[in-house]
Amino acid sequence: MSVLTLPAQPGQDTAPRPVPWRRMAWVTWRQQRATLIAVPTVLAAVAVFLVVFGLKAHHDYAALLNCPLDQGQQSNACAKLFSTFNSTDWPLANTVGILVQLAPVLIGAFAGAPLLARALENGTYRFAWTQGLMRERQAIAKLALLGVTLVVLAWAFGELFSWFFQPFLWTEQISRLTEGAFASSGIVFPAFTLVAFAIGAFLGMLLRRVIPALAATLGVYLAVRLGAWALRGQYPVTVVTSNANQFSAFGTPSQPGFAWILSTWYTGPGGKPANQSAVGQLLEQYQSNPHPTVSVGQTLAEHGYTEWNRWIPPSHYWPMQFIEAGWLLVLAVALMAGTVWLVRHRAA
Amino acid sequence: MNVIETCELGKRYGKSWALRDCTLTLPAGHLAALVGPNGAGKSTLMNMTAGLTVPTSGTATVLGGHPAGSPAALNGVAFVAQDAPVYRNLSAGDMLHLTRNLNQRFDTPFARARLADLGIPLNKKAGKLSGGQQSQLALTLALARRPRLLILDEPLAALDPLARQDFLAAVMTAMADDGVSVLLSSHQVAELERVADFLIVLSRARLQMAGEVDDLLAGHRLLTGPTAEADEYADRLTVVQTRRGDAQTHLLVRTSETAGPVPPGWESHQVSLEEVVMAYLRSPGVGEPAPLTRVQRPQPTEATR
Amino acid sequence: MTIDKGNSAIEFRLDPDSGVPTYLQLVQQVEHALRLGYLQPGDQLPKVRDVVTSLTINPNTVLKAYRELEHKGLAAGRPGQGTFIQATLEQVTLPELAGLRRTLLGWLTSAEQAGLDEDGIVALFTSGLRDFFKSRPASDGASPADHGTANHRTEGVA
Repeated sequence: MSVLTLPAQPGQDTAPRPVPWRRMAWVTWRQQRATLIAVPTVLAAVAVFLVVFGLKAHHDYAALLNCPLDQGQQSNACAKLFSTFNSTDWPLANTVGILVQLAPVLIGAFAGAPLLARALENGTYRFAWTQGLMRERQAIAKLALLGVTLVVLAWAFGELFSWFFQPFLWTEQISRLTEGAFASSGIVFPAFTLVAFAIGAFLGMLLRRVIPALAATLGVYLAVRLGAWALRGQYPVTVVTSNANQFSAFGTPSQPGFAWILSTWYTGPGGKPANQSAVGQLLEQYQSNPHPTVSVGQTLAEHGYTEWNRWIPPSHYWPMQFIEAGWLLVLAVALMAGTVWLVRHRAA
Repeated sequence: MNVIETCELGKRYGKSWALRDCTLTLPAGHLAALVGPNGAGKSTLMNMTAGLTVPTSGTATVLGGHPAGSPAALNGVAFVAQDAPVYRNLSAGDMLHLTRNLNQRFDTPFARARLADLGIPLNKKAGKLSGGQQSQLALTLALARRPRLLILDEPLAALDPLARQDFLAAVMTAMADDGVSVLLSSHQVAELERVADFLIVLSRARLQMAGEVDDLLAGHRLLTGPTAEADEYADRLTVVQTRRGDAQTHLLVRTSETAGPVPPGWESHQVSLEEVVMAYLRSPGVGEPAPLTRVQRPQPTEATR
Repeated sequence: MTIDKGNSAIEFRLDPDSGVPTYLQLVQQVEHALRLGYLQPGDQLPKVRDVVTSLTINPNTVLKAYRELEHKGLAAGRPGQGTFIQATLEQVTLPELAGLRRTLLGWLTSAEQAGLDEDGIVALFTSGLRDFFKSRPASDGASPADHGTANHRTEGVA
């Protein structure tokens, strides 16, 4: 047996250096390798499906646009196309859409919860946190590197999904502003993914166990989604008008632009609030016996009522995206800061 | 330089204190054995000096006054926790790379050569290595960081005798070559007698004694004599432990310069390290008023050399 | 299995059960080797790190032993090189040793015939040894009667 010599060298006491990003990149890669391989793989598999199915959907949709909307004037081929689109393409797309709603939380939770919790759970934090690089810096590096990666992956995937879903907006009269479509497109989709990741990391550090952190992340994320939905109607982008005819003038098949109507109310002559039941009756009468040339709005006006709507025009999509992504980003950063604080203060 | 200095260090979990009022000073260049029964606070003390745990009260500084857990402390202190935690899914080679990336100083050639010497393959997952190999891997990674202070929490517990000797030989050699100071805990005193020259005894979350082994052994004697006279002398001397038979009694006493010669009819024996430690562990509190940090060394004219 | 360290004339070994402090065992082994001629002035003592590696003992123990040898004037450290023997002890030649050994065995036979058992012989010899050296002036600073298994002492407790 022989044990080799450590040639003597004086010890070095140095001040803390900045985070060595390249080294931490290797460390993060090696420790999170399973996640960093699994997430892109799964996304790629779904992406392949989206591309294949999306090409078909777009092709069908293009053909559909050449058909007249009135069912009585449709050829057999057109009728069949409509039927396929509505009974085959749409349900599948809808299912995919629902699953895509889950994507941010699944990605974020499975990447975020074990990030710190696993080391705490299996004791390897006793190794990692006694190395030369301070534990806070390790945590910051991991959060940043993984966060950026997930945001990029989520954004790319979100764009692909938006392209895929686009034909169905017009056919199903879905606004880009409605919950499902809004949250899975643009920059809000990657923002939600980042928030889920941040929630996962924070709860992992708080609870110190992976499985409970995963479960809690799903719950908290759901609360955030619901909160966002409730909040969305309050963004300072809403418009209040009394011209009900505006809505029908929106959008073309290639640029679907359904508005998001938040609330509708009626006023009577002189601007006073109208008797709801009287208006209700009037509307019912009209619905059961619609006049061929006079619109419902004109009918109401004849009786002295005005319809008011609080709504968001589809052109306000991007401002809304920026507002939502903005506060989601703030939330994510706050959670990550909280995670680093926990790492620093709530030690073993 | 003092490699470890604590001042009334304490840690509380919920309502119970894992360690309390621990004030000790460990000078550089020693191997300090940290002994005590399970639950005495050994791991807690080590965790705090390694910067892993934040104290509830008091302070811990290392390497000449750096707060435990500060960047300078992390740089110069290498800690191997109990059960030698390694990333089970990483290979030894990966662990080398990982440790190199997390530290300013890492002697990769040394680490590779040492692992090769020990027969630890670089491409096998760490979780598949034997217990002894995992311990050696953890020690290799720690030594390759070229620390000034090495803290080892019960490193020998899961090792067979041969592995134990190899492990201790490696630690001793690092001390000889590089001047590393070592703090090593165990709940077996006997195996540390050859390697430790400083002793820290914990019991029931309190420090019972801390001092150089030589001072300790020189400062205690076993007196054997008639039971009839035992009480009389027990009052005059600081007795750590009494073993009383009908006719004959053994007194393990702490000696001091002012004590007189051995009473006639009594015999005086040297004590072994294990005897002294066991005595202190069985009668906690006898270490007060203050733990021994420096027992008076007998003068050379007393001809004890 | 051969452990070959090379570079030094002698190798140390330890007797963990002898009750003799480790550093003293090392000192005694050097003195013994000097007496028997294994070590000559100018020879290098084993390097501290080699002793530490092969015996698994604390380096401070080895340093303490070498310091003791320096204190006795038997060895001297050369910075950066190691510790070297610089004096000798009275060398007892091998024939002399053999003669002494024969005499000893004769005495032992007498003691046994007188009725002493092994422990009794050891006790008698040890106390005689101590008295013998106590009555002589300290010549080379060699420590009196620190070795041996018996620990009886009547010096002061301080």
